Amino acid sequence: MKQQAADILDTKTLTVQDAIDKYKVASTKTWWQKTGNYRIAFLYLLPSLLLFSVFMFYPMIYSLYLSFFFTDAQGTASAFVGWENYTYLFQSAAFRNSVGVTLLFVLYTVPSSVIIALFLALLANEKLRGIGLYRTIFASTLGMSVAASAVIWLFMFHPTAGILNAALTSINLPALSWLQDSTMALVSVAITTIWMNTGFSFLILLGGLQNIDEHLYESARIDGAGYFYRLRRITVPMLSPTLFFIITITFINSFQSFGQVDILTGGGPAEATNLIIYSIYKEAFIYYQFGPASAQAIILFGAVLLLTLLQFKFGEKKVHYQ
Amino acid sequence: MKKTLFFMSVSLLTLAACASNEEGETNEAEAEGEASAEEVDEETNNEAEISEEVVEIEFWHGMGGGLGDTLEALVDDYNASQEEFHITPEYQGSYEELLTQFRTVGGTETAPALVQMFEVGTKYMIESGYITPVQEWIDKDGYDVTQLEENILSYYTVEDELYSMPFNSSTPALYFNKDMFEEAGLDPENPPRTFSEIKEAAEKLTDEDTYGFSMLGHGWFFEQLIATQSADYVDQENGRTADATEVLFGGEEGLRAYEWLNEMNEAGTFEYYGRDWDDLRAAFQTENVAMYMDSSAGTKDAINNAGFEVGVSFIPHADEIDPNGVVIGGASVWMGSGISEEEQQGAWEFMKWFNQPEVQAEWHVNTGYFATHPEAYNEPVVEGEHEEYPQLRVPIEQLQATVPSSATQGALITVFPESREQVVTSLEELYQGTSPEDALQMAVEGSNRAIEVSERASE
Amino acid sequence: MKRKMILYALLTLAAFVMFFPIMYAFSVSFMTSEDILSRRLLPSSPTLDNYRDVLVSVPILHYLMNSFIVASTATLGMLIVSALAAFIFAFIPFKGRQAVFLLFISTLLIPWEATMIPNFFTIQSLGWMNNYLALTIPFFALAFGTFLLRQHFKTVPQELYEAAQVEGLSNFQFFYKVVVPYAKTSFVTLGIFGFLTTWNMYLWPLLVTTNDTVRTVQIGLRRLQADEVATNWGLVMAGVILVIIPTLILLAAGQKQLQKGLAKGAIK
Repeated sequence: MKQQAADILDTKTLTVQDAIDKYKVASTKTWWQKTGNYRIAFLYLLPSLLLFSVFMFYPMIYSLYLSFFFTDAQGTASAFVGWENYTYLFQSAAFRNSVGVTLLFVLYTVPSSVIIALFLALLANEKLRGIGLYRTIFASTLGMSVAASAVIWLFMFHPTAGILNAALTSINLPALSWLQDSTMALVSVAITTIWMNTGFSFLILLGGLQNIDEHLYESARIDGAGYFYRLRRITVPMLSPTLFFIITITFINSFQSFGQVDILTGGGPAEATNLIIYSIYKEAFIYYQFGPASAQAIILFGAVLLLTLLQFKFGEKKVHYQ
Repeated sequence: MKKTLFFMSVSLLTLAACASNEEGETNEAEAEGEASAEEVDEETNNEAEISEEVVEIEFWHGMGGGLGDTLEALVDDYNASQEEFHITPEYQGSYEELLTQFRTVGGTETAPALVQMFEVGTKYMIESGYITPVQEWIDKDGYDVTQLEENILSYYTVEDELYSMPFNSSTPALYFNKDMFEEAGLDPENPPRTFSEIKEAAEKLTDEDTYGFSMLGHGWFFEQLIATQSADYVDQENGRTADATEVLFGGEEGLRAYEWLNEMNEAGTFEYYGRDWDDLRAAFQTENVAMYMDSSAGTKDAINNAGFEVGVSFIPHADEIDPNGVVIGGASVWMGSGISEEEQQGAWEFMKWFNQPEVQAEWHVNTGYFATHPEAYNEPVVEGEHEEYPQLRVPIEQLQATVPSSATQGALITVFPESREQVVTSLEELYQGTSPEDALQMAVEGSNRAIEVSERASE
Repeated sequence: MKRKMILYALLTLAAFVMFFPIMYAFSVSFMTSEDILSRRLLPSSPTLDNYRDVLVSVPILHYLMNSFIVASTATLGMLIVSALAAFIFAFIPFKGRQAVFLLFISTLLIPWEATMIPNFFTIQSLGWMNNYLALTIPFFALAFGTFLLRQHFKTVPQELYEAAQVEGLSNFQFFYKVVVPYAKTSFVTLGIFGFLTTWNMYLWPLLVTTNDTVRTVQIGLRRLQADEVATNWGLVMAGVILVIIPTLILLAAGQKQLQKGLAKGAIK
């Protein structure tokens, strides 16, 4: 897909990379010259590779190792248990519940985050006076830390002192147990998460919208196409790479929602908001069982990797590259 | 728009700065009148930097909010009271995070000389090897520990050795809305004591905006309901003679508590307000709940924040038994090992200091925690306080009436945090409709699995 | 005209919903506890007591300074390290580059919380507890940043590269004399993004610090909440406002840049 697109492009937008490719074919170099790129690449990539190795890959491998052990009170691997941590997890109702809750949470948050952000971006893309103010407001949640956001929502969800229940009772609706009821709690955490996600998604989608060529709309308007026709036939296809990017990022973030769960519900009630990521945290830092915690981390990593690959495989086909 | 936001923030910051100035001025004003404690403290601080004689001692704690402020003021007082040692309090997050933090740095040079630890971390601390039992210093110094409150000491005493110094101790009690009692035709001076009495009262108190009874989603309250029936939480004399191998709360005592809660929940006279202390308290204060169980440390807040008369009473107990009392909760202060003798000395001096009746009197009045020294209750400041808030006496009486036994001494298990989590989760399942037997069984199995894992890991 | 009215109505409604939690927190921060319990929307008589109390009970200004140091250092490091890697992925072809790039991207999928335990031990054995290093170095390498910059670098026109060849510039000279200035927007974008994320770190700073020397402002926020006694919500909200103001200002100031830069990275 990309290749085809690149072929159509005229020479003006040919990148340096293409030039280098051409240049390389034509040349006859010594071995030392030929490996020059390797040396440069190694040098430039070294800081990243080093840091990734120490703080990303090594911990993952260490987690893999720990997942076959029980750990003692000091957190060192002390008893080899083979696959027990994994088999226990697959039999455990609590873990199955966490998986279910996590999937449900992703389902609640990803589509609505993207749709809300898209809606806001479409609104804010209109050329109106004072639109800058609206844009800043819509983007504002990007500047909110998890801790601050979750604390504010915690107070708004407060069963008796919270403003949400005050609003409900003032219009004669029954007060809701936002965070105390199993079904509601996950929805409430999802609402908070969607709110927190919106700023980032909005900014990116707005940028994407502004990159769409105005001429496309003009010719459509001349043809007498209505707003929704243009939206469906021009905006969404042209925006699809951005949308794809945003969906992928939101999706990954959704699996990693930690702070809001910690502050709002602590995984409860009755584990109704015990997302896998939170379950890992609890197992590791409250129960101090690094073995089972690591096994969960490995499973989570595997699942997200698989789902993301699937998304790339099937999702990218629907994406139009300019 | 940038301007608007910018202007808003700038004005806000300026306001904040003014506010802090204002505070500074008040302090100065106070200081002019009499040499304030803070000023003295500042001098000691300065001296601490200059002279090398002063021993620096780190004190890790897990108290946020107003309690943290009180704790810091207490330490300031100590620092001002002598010149040999300087204690620096360091907040480490919640009790759980504090424990995690200590686990990881224990035995290294980052480890503190003094660390506060919640009661369920006791077993871990004893086994960690990173602490010196305070008994060593008690013996060395010939300190008379019997002067302190026996029912608090018993929790931290294992095989006749006191491991840590009591610090902030509390127990649960029953809190109720006296005005509502009167409206419902109940006697506010004679509150319900047994499960069935509570149940009946809850029925009378429930109407369309009010639930009769509620209990916080916290394992501590369930532990009390077991202990008062004189049942151990785990085997091996509540884990005090040897490592516990299984939990015992799954017996009839546990079932009574689960059934009781279930009956009220099904009758609609009970409402669950989650795990957050604040949510339940607010529900009580806004008269959505008529009776609930709370920590004795919150008594004064409960009275001050309520627009009605608050009654305090003993915790409920099963009809079949005579109540045995309560297990203390809260935290104690431990002395780190692997530090210099001098630092330990300083830590010990501080421990002795804060257990003095006068200091404990202040502590009790300012925080609501028990005084570890019974004589503190005779101090004028406490007597005045108790005059004003007679309800404060109830938890003290309840503690002093507690029958000493392994049950009321409290359980010692390493996996306590996990077991508590299992209990709360199973209670939440109960409130959502799981049968009492099944819910209780879940908590038992979950806790036993945790015990088994930790056992195998430490073999 | 009618269309404009509808648009403004929708915009205003959406803005109200999105901004409500922040405005509400702002309002609560000026309330007395009576106002809070009676669920008022606006304070009956605005008070600054909460702000005064926050400043007294928590060294929030000290925390703010630490956050500033940590976020700026981490951002700077992130920019340098990501730019170096992005340069290779955009300009220097070698066999297996695609694989290395995928390796980079795969780190996006590793949940940070899952690596926290071993990382905690690493920091410990490096002796970085209570040190700015623990709060900054682990965040220098960022797959997202590398990806974003690479996308921008790829748009550097061929003429520039040719000109550089004629001038006889080395790779490094080409990098910092041509590529960096050319992709300035993307650096600003990544900078703002990096600053916001590191400023907002929540659990990690608590784990790797044991005293106030390098602690950041998010921990200060936590310190304001109590467990066994009642939480003073007015005080907490005052803390929240103090904590979010710097990032909101930064966001408002850099919003345009951020939007342009992020969009470019996402599309190409």
